[in-house]
Amino acid sequence: MAVAQGLLYTKDHEWARVEGDTATVGITDYAQEQLGEVVFVELPKVGKEFGAHKEFAVVESSKAASDVFCPVAGRVTEVNTELETQPELVNKDCYGEGWLCKVKITDTKSLDSLMDAKKYEEYLKTL
Amino acid sequence: MQGSTSPGQFVFEQRAGESVPSVLYDEHVKLTSKSHITAFAGYLMPLWYSSIAQEHRAVRQNAGLFDCTHMGVLEVCGPDAGLFLDVVSTNRVEDLKLGRARYGYVLDAAGNVLDDIIVYRRGETRFMVVVNAANEAKIRSYLHELQQGRAVVDTASSLWAAKLPKLKVSIQDMRDPNRPSDRRVDLALQGPASFDTLGKLTDPSAAKRICELKSFAFVEEKVGGIDCLICRTGYTGSNVGVELFVDPKEAPRLWNLILEAGRPLGVLPCGLGSRDSLRIEAGLPLYGHELDGKFQISPFEAGYGWAVKLDKEFFIGQAAMRRVAETYDMEVARIELSAARGVRPIRQDDALLDEKGECVGWVLSAAKIEEKQIALAYLDRKAAVEGTRLGVYYLARSASQAEQGRLEVVTKGQKVDSDLGGTVTSRFAKF
Repeated sequence: MAVAQGLLYTKDHEWARVEGDTATVGITDYAQEQLGEVVFVELPKVGKEFGAHKEFAVVESSKAASDVFCPVAGRVTEVNTELETQPELVNKDCYGEGWLCKVKITDTKSLDSLMDAKKYEEYLKTL
Repeated sequence: MQGSTSPGQFVFEQRAGESVPSVLYDEHVKLTSKSHITAFAGYLMPLWYSSIAQEHRAVRQNAGLFDCTHMGVLEVCGPDAGLFLDVVSTNRVEDLKLGRARYGYVLDAAGNVLDDIIVYRRGETRFMVVVNAANEAKIRSYLHELQQGRAVVDTASSLWAAKLPKLKVSIQDMRDPNRPSDRRVDLALQGPASFDTLGKLTDPSAAKRICELKSFAFVEEKVGGIDCLICRTGYTGSNVGVELFVDPKEAPRLWNLILEAGRPLGVLPCGLGSRDSLRIEAGLPLYGHELDGKFQISPFEAGYGWAVKLDKEFFIGQAAMRRVAETYDMEVARIELSAARGVRPIRQDDALLDEKGECVGWVLSAAKIEEKQIALAYLDRKAAVEGTRLGVYYLARSASQAEQGRLEVVTKGQKVDSDLGGTVTSRFAKF
């Protein structure tokens, strides 16, 4: 199971790449593996605000529809529109081209509860 | 479970327990990651090895091998075994020929479906009965209660209730590892390359007998030196395919022999995911979805009225089935919809709409197969006509969708806007 260095992780298997006051957000390799073939992604509207760990997207595979929780508190500034026609990017490149959206962080304290790559790897071992 | 019971209803409390590894668990973890193994009907079973789509394709183009060792396998034998099964099953049993199997239903006296079963005749007084894993404990308890004279047999007459406990019948669990001999668990090999694969593991005369099996006929042969009962049945809609009943101790060896022999022919191990997508594509019912379940779907509604012999002298639930056969107004239909890129997958309970946008039924099961979605739905019989165009309304998939006004339940006749179009297709498909 690939865990990318330099990202922050949630127990629900979302990741956040923090650059300045913006976080790029997606789901982890573990999550996409569990889901199987992703066939549909519902993304939030640009401009919408979410509290940390609030559901903000739905990823659907042939197996199930899964809620995705926003790892940080913030306002959506951009969504990955490529996923509308290529939802499989979430499987192929979950830490890269399969990103879900970008969020302007409104509460940096919400970052404190996230795990770094090492801690997330340890967490995965407990599952 | 709380709630009122109707006269003749058989109530069984399922005991929840820890799931146990399937007989083939050690083989599964060699072939797939533990994260792809799930608890299913009390067993740890693989969801997929490569991918659901790849395994589905393998069964349609080559063949796939399934772990069905979770399925219940019972022996019903004794001088009155045939008569006992004829009372318990909606289909005929006493006139079943040796080496033949027959599909039917076990009902309670109120007409509720307790399970769908296959009865195999192995001798004049010796039968094998395969039941669903999830229903095995319930069925064993029911049969036991019938033998003891404790379950309701007929709400109108005591004739058969008095007869049943007197019948000489013995019921044994054939999967029990402590059984002295003739232990059996189920593996399924399904798809066009099945016979060629088995041909590599059998002597030529046995291979010929297997190839010549008619649907629902079986033989007992050695495969790779292992005693097997091989029946031309399956749950994938494949014209070519068998189930192999084998000693649980030999099951891992047989599993590996078949995979090895089948590898050059494109045979893949297949998990629960493709098992579901294949049976949905074929139109086959799953207990709890297209049979019984929250709509209490009867065999008539499921499209299997032929397996309920109303003209038989007696079977448990017969009076209720006579009423259902006259009055049912909903049925299971197979519907084809688009699965093009960007189309949201339909899910269980999504509403089906007629041309006016009024709800005429609900999705029971659905699967994405290549560029199509196939749904099995519970539909008003007036709409369940091949070629009928239907709309689909997606129910809320998350709390936030519900907050934005997307409905979580749509009732019959309710008018809503369609999100996607589909067409009613043939009830079953063969491959």
